[in-house]
Amino acid sequence: MITIEFLRHRNLAIDALTIKPGITSIIGANGSGKTTFLKICAGIELPDRGTIRIDNLAPRETEIGWVNEFPDRNILFANVIDEIASPLRFHRITSCNKIDTDIRACAESINISHLLNRAVRELSGGEKVLVSLAAALVHRPTVLLLDEYDSHLDALLAAQINQVIRASGARYVIRCTQQMDTAMQSNQLLFFDSGRVTHAGTPEHVFSFLKGTAYYPFLWMR
Amino acid sequence: MDALIMKISLNRAYAVRDHWSLLASGTFNQGVHLVSGDVGSGKSTLALMMAELFPLSSGRIEKAEITSCMLSLQFPELHLTGRSVAEECTSWGISADDIVVATGLTGRKDASPFSLSRGELKRLHLACIFAKDYDLLLLDEPFSSLDCQEKTKLCTTIEQKSRGITVIFTHEQNILPRVSRIWEILDGKLIDCGRPPDAFLHWCHVPPSVKRLTALGLRPDNISMEDLQEAACRIQG
Repeated sequence: MITIEFLRHRNLAIDALTIKPGITSIIGANGSGKTTFLKICAGIELPDRGTIRIDNLAPRETEIGWVNEFPDRNILFANVIDEIASPLRFHRITSCNKIDTDIRACAESINISHLLNRAVRELSGGEKVLVSLAAALVHRPTVLLLDEYDSHLDALLAAQINQVIRASGARYVIRCTQQMDTAMQSNQLLFFDSGRVTHAGTPEHVFSFLKGTAYYPFLWMR
Repeated sequence: MDALIMKISLNRAYAVRDHWSLLASGTFNQGVHLVSGDVGSGKSTLALMMAELFPLSSGRIEKAEITSCMLSLQFPELHLTGRSVAEECTSWGISADDIVVATGLTGRKDASPFSLSRGELKRLHLACIFAKDYDLLLLDEPFSSLDCQEKTKLCTTIEQKSRGITVIFTHEQNILPRVSRIWEILDGKLIDCGRPPDAFLHWCHVPPSVKRLTALGLRPDNISMEDLQEAACRIQG
């Protein structure tokens, strides 16, 4: 379980929240605190007050995979293959064979093997997201955090990537999305409003409070 | 009379990159056009070609009666020149006071644009774009990073544009404005699917909601949420 208690950070104010293993989607308006929340889950930022524990560990003691909402801010290296290899190299895995095998297996699972020998500057925005996702997954994180990764993907690709995410083995997947079709396919859904989690539960439960708003999935309207 | 002949024509415009190519033919008349396509299919490149920012290997692009053009890039951070929200607005020749109110950024005029969330930055960028009137407006993934309410507002803004040619390059499938023509990029070629609703018959990237309604026996007139809801109400009725 991920447990959050009395969290206060920037505009975030969450007194108590539990996130179960599985896929958790976060929806809400721009600026409602979704990205800040993900950064705290990732250990990128430490909360001003309150605690967050991931299976009784601090985020910085947990293996995290992270995909930034700005695709260009994910990428450190000039070549795709070096970018995907970087988490393995940062973990001081020295076997070139293992690195090569893991990179190719990960790229194949995301269907980007054809990009491995490309320079990052040649990639489209969506392709950059896929490379970032591969880099986030290649070291098999416990927690996979995805910040609006699907805003740069077409529907078919987003559906394929959702399958990859499900099969990734990550114990927790927490993703912000503005695609309600994606949000529908979650184990847990959180609705953020002005830094607070105003609705939490199954997608059916949360969306029942959002009828008549732009957030309610069209496919459920009838 | 001039307004009637404003158009941009692509005559076998051909662009090549290291790993793919794009061939585009067709005429974009006044109105709102939607260009769909998969990730990496060349939507952004086509936008750059139409803005004359990407060299053609062959063919040509001709503009008639178009005196002003604006390309909104997919990534709003690439447009930034101001160190603060106010400076950014000023760099577009626009009053910051009006923009911060319109974008809900009141009180953040002195904030760095990089301190905004990506959605807030996109809102700021689009507000600066729509504060002026362009004959040719090219919008590359304008909906990405916007929340559902902002996407809906953007649709209204686009629909209310009374003149000029607006071309939306997007993979958005749920919240879209009413459009006058639909295009898609398939296998390196720009395909003219035609006007909605007839375009739905051979549009490979047709949104699932449109597909579902069509399968139920009623085609919506267009792709906006109002059109979809109207069709859904007919079914319910």
